[in-house]
Amino acid sequence: MLGRGPDDDEMTEDVKRVLKARFGDRTLTKAHVQFDIPENAPDGRFVPVFLETDLPQTPDHCVKAFHVIVDHNPDIYVAGFWGVPSIDTRIKMRRTSYVRAIAEMNTGELYVSAKKVFVTLNGCG
Amino acid sequence: MATGDARVLLPASVTNGDVIYVRAIIEHPMDTGFFRTAEGQPIPAFFINDVTVMYGDQQIAHFEWTSGVSRDPSVTFPLKATREAPVTVTWKDNKGGVYHQTVDVRFS
Repeated sequence: MLGRGPDDDEMTEDVKRVLKARFGDRTLTKAHVQFDIPENAPDGRFVPVFLETDLPQTPDHCVKAFHVIVDHNPDIYVAGFWGVPSIDTRIKMRRTSYVRAIAEMNTGELYVSAKKVFVTLNGCG
Repeated sequence: MATGDARVLLPASVTNGDVIYVRAIIEHPMDTGFFRTAEGQPIPAFFINDVTVMYGDQQIAHFEWTSGVSRDPSVTFPLKATREAPVTVTWKDNKGGVYHQTVDVRFS
């Protein structure tokens, strides 16, 4: 269908390249990221995102950073947030795409969650 | 309002040990560089790419942004209020602009 992205959350080559540049060969596990984003975003200029994790936060094992990746944006890596256990913000999206939230723990594990968001109005130009 | 006007919001009353939600908002166009004006002139990229949050003299958070963050960016994050100290948020954009906003954590 016109205007729809791929139907599975298989990463595109571009996403893999961005992840490799940032995290090297570390593996991403699909778990533990609580990720709130609307399934339908009428306005791609303002897509609210809320990120947190369901893991208990202790000084020995806590979230070091959250990363937000949008597969079909001109700039795939949208934002990184270091030092906060949860974050609430708004991002732009060019078109319907998977949005990936990555939680990087201070022990080095990477947890990921992906959600598809339908966008009607291009917010990136 | 103009570019760089910023606010940092805290709850009305804070007690020692509370987890409070800090909201930081700044007025900024966050231009991606892909749009054009009505006359067809390209609008150059102009966006905030670096944000730091200080609590007292300690840096508690650091955000790395691209133009993929919405216009007039707003972030809300939790903070454990363990002492009375100022919270300072500093935004830096890709054209060298630096904007600060400070708010004091006071226990009631």
